[in-house]
Amino acid sequence: MRQQYARRTQALTFAMGLAALAIIVQMTRIQNSEEAATFRQQASNYAYELRTFYPERGEIYDRNGHLLAGNKSVFEIGVDLKNAKDPEAIAAAVSVELGVDYAQVLDVIQNPPEGLSYVVVADYVEAQKAIHLQELKKKVQEHAPEGMLGELTGLEFKSHPQRSYPENSLASNIIGFLNRQGLGYFGIEEKYDTLLAGNPVQVLIPTDPNKAFEIPRVPDGTTLVLTINRDLQAAAEQILDEALVTYEAQSGTIVVMDPRNGELLAMAVTPRMDLNQFWNYDVIYHNATEYNPAVSMPYEPGSVVKILTMAAALDSGAVVPNTTYLDTGSILVGGATIQNWNQEPWGVQDMIGCLQHSLNVCMATLSTQMGAGTFYSYMNNFGLGHLTGVDLAGESAGRLKIPGDSDWYPVDLGTNAFGQGVSATPIQIMMAASSIANKGRIVTPHALYAMVRDGRQYDVPAQFAGTPISEQTAQTLSEMLAISLESEGSLALVPGYRVAGKTGTAQIPVDGFYDNTQTNASFIGWGPVDAPQFMIYVWLERPVTSIWGSETAAPVFAQIAEQTVILLDIPPDNIRQQLVAK
Amino acid sequence: MNIQNVTHLVHAYKIAPWRVNRQLVGTALLAVVALAMVATLYLDVTSQAAIAGREIQDLTASITINQQVSGDLQTQLATLTSASVMKQRALELGFRPMESGQAEYLVVAGYSVIEPEILSSVPLPQLSALSIPPEYNESLLDWVDERISSSSRGMQ
Repeated sequence: MRQQYARRTQALTFAMGLAALAIIVQMTRIQNSEEAATFRQQASNYAYELRTFYPERGEIYDRNGHLLAGNKSVFEIGVDLKNAKDPEAIAAAVSVELGVDYAQVLDVIQNPPEGLSYVVVADYVEAQKAIHLQELKKKVQEHAPEGMLGELTGLEFKSHPQRSYPENSLASNIIGFLNRQGLGYFGIEEKYDTLLAGNPVQVLIPTDPNKAFEIPRVPDGTTLVLTINRDLQAAAEQILDEALVTYEAQSGTIVVMDPRNGELLAMAVTPRMDLNQFWNYDVIYHNATEYNPAVSMPYEPGSVVKILTMAAALDSGAVVPNTTYLDTGSILVGGATIQNWNQEPWGVQDMIGCLQHSLNVCMATLSTQMGAGTFYSYMNNFGLGHLTGVDLAGESAGRLKIPGDSDWYPVDLGTNAFGQGVSATPIQIMMAASSIANKGRIVTPHALYAMVRDGRQYDVPAQFAGTPISEQTAQTLSEMLAISLESEGSLALVPGYRVAGKTGTAQIPVDGFYDNTQTNASFIGWGPVDAPQFMIYVWLERPVTSIWGSETAAPVFAQIAEQTVILLDIPPDNIRQQLVAK
Repeated sequence: MNIQNVTHLVHAYKIAPWRVNRQLVGTALLAVVALAMVATLYLDVTSQAAIAGREIQDLTASITINQQVSGDLQTQLATLTSASVMKQRALELGFRPMESGQAEYLVVAGYSVIEPEILSSVPLPQLSALSIPPEYNESLLDWVDERISSSSRGMQ
C-alpha cells in the first residue's frame, strides 16, 4: 500500500513537473517569438513620448516700462466625440455664448472627419467667454439627475497663449505683429523674432508613471525694451493724423530721433493697424512697403538733400558761409538747364541765402564745382543708397546713381544736389543729417534699448557709422541752417528753443514727368542747436491745401518739437544755459 | 537510564519525521516572509516615486497656470493704463495737455535726469526642478546593483 502510494505520488509529480516544464517552454517560446519582438518594439515605441516645451515669447516694453506687446491666455473649445452626450445642446450653448453658427457647430459634431475623436468648434476664444461657457457646463451638470451626465458633457477647454498688444494700433509700424503660426511679421516682432521666441526644448518623457523625469528648464524668450517713448509716440501719431486732415495729405510720416546716439524716440506713420486684429493687414495695406514707410518706402526727398550738398561743399573747402555767387535763375549741367523752384534769378547770394531760399541753381553750382568724384564720395559717406542698419524689418536702401551706372547722366550731378533723381527713406536722410547735429559723426538709428534675459538687462550701446564731415563743418552748417530759418521767419521755429532745419518740396513724377501739383512735402530739423537732443523728420505725401513743405511740413515740425521738449523735459535755451553756467 | 539511552533518545528526536517536515515548512515560510518583505519594500518605494512624480506634474501645471494668470493680469493692467485710456481719463478728470510755455523749470539739488527704467537687475529664481536624486527614480534592484557595483569598486 505504501509503495503504491509512493508510485502514484511519483507519477503525479512527474505529470505536474511535465506540465510546469511545458508551461515554461511555452512561455520561453512565446517570449522569443517574432510576434513577441513586434510587441516589444511597439511597447518601446510607447515607452517614451517626445514632448516639445515652448518658451513663453518675450515681451516688448517702451523705454519707460510700458508694455507694448505681451501674452495672454485664450481658449480652444472642442468636443470629445466619445463623451458628447447631447450634440444639439452643445451646439446651442456654443453658438449662444460665442456667437458662432449653430448649424455649423452641429454639423462639425455630428459629421466629423473620419477617424477623429475630438473636434475643435472654436479657437482663440477670449478667456472671459470661455470661463462663462465653463461655468454654464458646470451648472448644467449640477442640475442633471443624480448619477447622470450633464447635457454639455464632452465640451472640452484647452488654454494656450496668444500675443496681445495693449496699445492696439499705437506704434504698430514699429512693433509688427505675430501671426497664429507664431511667426513675427514687420518691425521688432520680425527683426528679433528668434530672440523673442526663445529656444524650444525637446525631451523624451517616460510614459511609465513610476519613472520620474527631470523637467527641462525652458528659458522664456528675451524681453525687449525699446527706445520708443510711448507718450511721444502717441503725440506724434495724433499730430500726424491732424496734419493729414489740415493739409489734406494722402499719407504721412514723423520720426523723432536722438541725434547723439541714434535712439528712435517716436516713429509715426499712416495708415496704422490694430495689432490685435492683424488679419486686417490685407484690407489696410496694398504692399509691404506701406507698413512702415519711414524705413521701407524710398522717395525723392527734394530740398532736404541740400543740407548734405552744402555740408559736402563746406567740408571739402569749395565754399565758406560768406562765399557769394550770382544767381541768374538757371544753370546748364550735362546739356540740361536747371532752374530755381520759382524759375526766377535771385541775384547775389551767400551760402546762407542759398539755403534760406532753397536755390536749386546754387546747389547745382556747388556740386559741379566740387566735381562728381568729390560730390558722390560725400553722398556715399552720408549713406545714401545704403541700408542704415536700423533694427526694424523691411528696410529699403533707396537709390543713388553714381557715375559709371548705366542710368547715370551728367545732368544727375546737378539734379542730385537738390534731391532730384535720388531716392531715400526718411530714416536714411535722418542718419545722414545726424552727422551735422552730432559733431560730424553719423549715428546708426535703432529701436532697441535693452534686452532682458534670465532676469538680467543688457543695454544696447550706440553705434556710429563714420565721420563724413568735420566737427567744425557740422557746427558751421547747423548755425547757417538756424539763421536761415530765423531770417525767413519759418513756421518751423519753436518759441524758446533755437532749432536748425531745412524744408523740402519734391514734385512727384507722374507718367515720366514731374507734376507741379503733386508734391512730397518734407522737413528735417533738430534742436537745441547748441546741444541737439532731438531730430525730427516730417514727410507729408501729396498735401492739397499747399504743395510747399514750408507751409505744411514745417509747422508740423514745430508742433511735434513742442511736444518733444515737454515730454523729454528739455528746458528752454535760456534756462538750460543758466543751468549749465551754474 | 544510562548515557547511551539518553543519546539514543536525542538522536531519535532529531531524526523524527515530523521534526524534519517542520524544519522544511519553517524554511519555506521564512523564504515566503522574506519575499513578502522585499515585495512590500519594492511596492513602497515605487509608490513613493510615483506619488513624487505626480506631485511634480501637479506643481509644474500650477507654475504654468500661475504664469498664464500673471501674463493675463499684466496685459489687462497694460490695457487699462494704455496711452489712449490714460489720456481719456485725464481729460475726464479735468486735466488738459500742457503747452511748452507753461512749464516751469526749477533747479533741484541732487536731482538727476530719469533714465529709462531697468526692468530687472536681480536674477530670478530658477523655476525648473533641481536634479532629481536617485532615490526617486531607481528601483530596489537598481539600488542593489548600485550597492554591489560600489562595493566591488571599493574592493578594487
